[in-house]
Amino acid sequence: MRRPARLSPGSKAAVPVLLFLLVGFVAPLIAVIWFSFMPPRSFSLAAAPSLENYTTIFNSTSYISFLWSLVLAAATVVLLAVICFPISYGLVRVFGKWATLLTLLFTIPLFVSENIRLYGWVLFLIKNGVLLGSLDTYFGIELESILFTRTAILLGMVYVYLPFMLFPLTLGISMVPNETRDAAYDLGATRWQVFREVELPLSMPGVVIGFLLTFVLAVGAITEAKVLGGQRIIPVAQDIEIAFTYAQNWPLGAALSVLLMLVVGTLVLLALWRFDLDRFLGRK
Amino acid sequence: MPSKAQRLRHGLITAWTLAVVVFIYLPTLCITLASLTSSRYFQFPITKFGLDWWRKTFSSIEIRQLLSTSITIALCVTVVAVVIAFFGALAFARYDWRGRSIYQKLILLPIFFPQSVLGLALLLWFNALGLQMSWQTAVFAHLVWIVPVVTLVISIQVYSFDPALEEAAFDLGATRWQVMREVTLPVLFPGLFSGALFAFLLSWGNFPLSLYTTGADTTVPEYLYAKMVAGYTPGVPVLGTISTIGAAVLLIGGYALMLAMRRARRTVSE
Amino acid sequence: MAEPAPILSLKAVAKSFGSFIAVDHIDLDIAEGEFFTVVGPSGSGKTTLLRMIAGMEQPSSGDILLRGERINDVPANKRPTCMVFQSLALFPHRTVGENIEFSLKIKGERKDKRKARALELMDLLRLPQSYYGKNVLKCSGGERQRVALARALAYDPQILFFDEPLSAIDSKLRKTLEKELKDIHRETKKTFVYITHSLEEAMVMSDRIGVMRAGKLVQVGTPQEIYSTPNTRFVSEFIGDVNVIAVDVANDGSLNSASLGAKLKPPTLPSGMASGHLVIRPEFIRFVTDSSMADNTVTGRLYNEYALGSRIQYQVRVGEAVFVVEKLRQQAFTGRLDDIVTIGWDAVDSILVTD
Repeated sequence: MRRPARLSPGSKAAVPVLLFLLVGFVAPLIAVIWFSFMPPRSFSLAAAPSLENYTTIFNSTSYISFLWSLVLAAATVVLLAVICFPISYGLVRVFGKWATLLTLLFTIPLFVSENIRLYGWVLFLIKNGVLLGSLDTYFGIELESILFTRTAILLGMVYVYLPFMLFPLTLGISMVPNETRDAAYDLGATRWQVFREVELPLSMPGVVIGFLLTFVLAVGAITEAKVLGGQRIIPVAQDIEIAFTYAQNWPLGAALSVLLMLVVGTLVLLALWRFDLDRFLGRK
Repeated sequence: MPSKAQRLRHGLITAWTLAVVVFIYLPTLCITLASLTSSRYFQFPITKFGLDWWRKTFSSIEIRQLLSTSITIALCVTVVAVVIAFFGALAFARYDWRGRSIYQKLILLPIFFPQSVLGLALLLWFNALGLQMSWQTAVFAHLVWIVPVVTLVISIQVYSFDPALEEAAFDLGATRWQVMREVTLPVLFPGLFSGALFAFLLSWGNFPLSLYTTGADTTVPEYLYAKMVAGYTPGVPVLGTISTIGAAVLLIGGYALMLAMRRARRTVSE
Repeated sequence: MAEPAPILSLKAVAKSFGSFIAVDHIDLDIAEGEFFTVVGPSGSGKTTLLRMIAGMEQPSSGDILLRGERINDVPANKRPTCMVFQSLALFPHRTVGENIEFSLKIKGERKDKRKARALELMDLLRLPQSYYGKNVLKCSGGERQRVALARALAYDPQILFFDEPLSAIDSKLRKTLEKELKDIHRETKKTFVYITHSLEEAMVMSDRIGVMRAGKLVQVGTPQEIYSTPNTRFVSEFIGDVNVIAVDVANDGSLNSASLGAKLKPPTLPSGMASGHLVIRPEFIRFVTDSSMADNTVTGRLYNEYALGSRIQYQVRVGEAVFVVEKLRQQAFTGRLDDIVTIGWDAVDSILVTD
C-alpha cells in the first residue's frame, strides 16, 4: 500500500520538470497567445489588443490551409489505423520471439530525421528516379511521377507517422489478457463478437493514444508538403512559418498558431482527462 | 477455432508486416544507392558507380563542423534531460502526492503537440526575449520536447521499482545519500540508460525544432534539408546514410549493451 | 518476584491518516527475547503499528520506548532494530553475500570481516556456503527468505520486525519456514515482533499473541489463552472453524438459544451478562446415542464430511444452524450421509463470549 505523504518527496521531485516546462513550454505559448491579439505586422507587445488577426484569417484563404491540414491529418490517422492494426496484432500475438527484432526495426526510423527519409521517397518517385528509372530502362514503361501531388504528401505523412500509431496500438492490444479472450470463446462467442466485446474495449486506451498522438502530430506536418508536395498544398504550419519569417507578420502567425492549439488542446483534453496513465504505462 | 483459418490469418499478418517493413526501409535503400554514384546528379539506374562522394564527405571540414554541432547539442540535451527527467519520473511513478494526476497529464502536453508549431512558438519566445539564436537555444528547444519523453521512459522502469528496497537500505543503517547511491540509482540504471539513449537519438535526428532555433549554427538535418531544396549533390545521400547507420548502430548497440547488463546481473559467480 | 523491564513499551500510540484512525491508542509491553505476534485482518492497523515501531512512520500521538528511552524522534536508520519486509526487498542487483553484508558495508567494516560474518550467518540459516556469490534473483522462495533474515541479523539489531514475510509462500513451504523461524529465534535469543493475518501461523511460533481489530488490541495472551479462552466472538472466530450460538441468559442461569429452541447448560457465567455467544470448538463435540451422554445435546442431519489430513470434519445441520464436529481419523464416525444423528458437548468445554 502506498502511503500518502505531506509536502512530500513527490512534489519536491516534480519541481525541476515543472519549472522547466513553465519557462520552456507554458511561457512561449502564453507569448504566442498574447501576440495573436496584437495589431498585424507589429513586433511590440504593448499595443492595444484586437481581434484583427482572427478576422483576417476567416476572411482570407488562410483557413483553407487550416482545413487541408485537418483533412490530411484525419486521412493519415484512418489509413494508419488500417495499416498498423494487423502489425500490432502480430507483434502481440503472432510473432513470438521475433517481435523484439521487428519492434527494433520499426523503432530505428524514429531516430532518423524525417527530411532524410522523405528525401528517399523523392529519389524513389522522381522522374529518372529509382522506380520510374527502372521501369523505363528495364521494362520500357514510361509513367508520370506521382511526386508533387497531393497523393505524395499523404504518402509521406503515412510514412513518417507510422510508429506513432503502431506503438500505442501494440501497447493497447497487449493489455487484453489471453485468458479473457479464451473465456469469451469458451462462453460461445464468435470471432467477431470476441473482437467487439472483449478485444476492442480492452485495447481502447492504446487506440485512443495512437489516434490522438498521430492526429496531433500530423496536423502540424510541414516537411512532407514541402519535400514531396511541391507547394500543391500549403499546410497550416507552413502558413505560420511564412508569417513568422518572410511575411514578418508575427501576430498573424500567432493567431494561426492559437487556432491550431485550440484544436489540439481540445482533443487532448477530451481524450486524456480521465485516462489512467499508470495502468497504461506501468502494468503491461 | 479452426486452426487452418488461424494459420491463414497468421500468414497474411506476417506477409503484410514484412511488406510494411520493406516499405519503411525503401527510402533508406534509395538513399544508400544514391550515395554510390560518382556523377554529380542522381539518375537511376546508376551508370557511374563510385565512392568519390564518400571520400569527399569524410574529408570535408564543413561536414565535420556540422557533425560536431549535432553531437554537441545531442550530448548537452542528453545530460540535462536525464537529470531533470530522473526526478520527474520519481514524481510520475514512485511517490503518491496530491497533484500527481494533473502532473502526469501536464508532462504529456509537449509530446502531444505539433513539433513545427512548438519550434515556431519557441522562435517567437526567444525573439521576444531578445535572445540570439544559436546551438544553445536549440538545446533548450530540444529539451522542451525531449524531457517529457525521457520522463516517460524512465517512469516505465520506476513503476517496477519496489519502494521497500529504499526502506530496507535505510533500515539497515544507510543515510539518504547512501540509499540513493547504493540502491536507487543502480536499480534504476536500465531506465536511465534507455532514457539517455532516447534523448541522444531524438536530439540527433530532430529537424523541426532545430530548423527554427539554431540560428547561425547548423545541424546535420538542417544542412541536408537546405541541400535538398537547392544545391543537391550526392554528398547529401552520403551524409543521410551515415546519419541513418549511426542511429541504427547506437540503438542496436545500446540495446545489446542492456541485454548484456541484464545477463551479467543473473550470472552465477562462484 | 520482580519482572524484568520490557524491552519495548508502547504508551497510547495512535496514528491517523486524515480522518481515518489506523491505530487507536495502543498500550503494549514486549519482554526481551520474546516472540510476539500481532494478528489481525487486513486493514486492522497491524502494519502501521509495526512501521511506527520500526521508525518508518511517525505516530500521531503516544510514546514508543526502547529500554525506557523515548525513540519517537529517532530515524529508522539509527534505531537498533531491523525489519524483514513483506516483499523481502532483497537488492536485485547484488549477490547473496553482498545483500547480507550490506549493513556492515555501510558501517565501514573490512571486506574479510564482512565475509566471515556473512558466512557465519549463512551457516546459521542453513544456506550453502557456495551461495555467497549467487545472484538473489536465482534463489528459490525459501532461500530468499533466509537471505532476508540473514541480512537483518547481520545488522545485529536488538529487535527484529517481520511484516508478513511468509504470506506469498505456498502452504507446505510455509509450515517448514514457520518452524525454522521459531528455531532461529531460540538460537539467536533476540526479540522478534511479527505480524500476520493467520492465527494458525502465529500459534506455531509465538510466545505471546496480540489480536488486533480496527486499530485496537482486542486480546493479548499466550497462544493457549487465545485459543482456549478467547474474550470475544471476533477472536474466537479467528482460528479454524468454530461453533457459535447466540444465546440469552435466563434467570435461572441457564442459556436460551432461540435458533436451536433449546435450553443449554452453561460454563461459568461472567457476572452481569445478559446475552452473548456460546463458542464450542469442533474437537469438543462428539456423536452420542442419547441425551444423557453429554451436558448439552442436539439432534440433526449429517450433511457432509470433509477429510482434513489427520482429522475428519463433519457438518451437521440442526434446523437452520450448522454444527462442525471434528474427530481424529482413527476415531471416525461410522454413520452415513443424511442419517439423523445426535451430537453433544460438555458445558465445561464451551466458552461464553461477548461480540
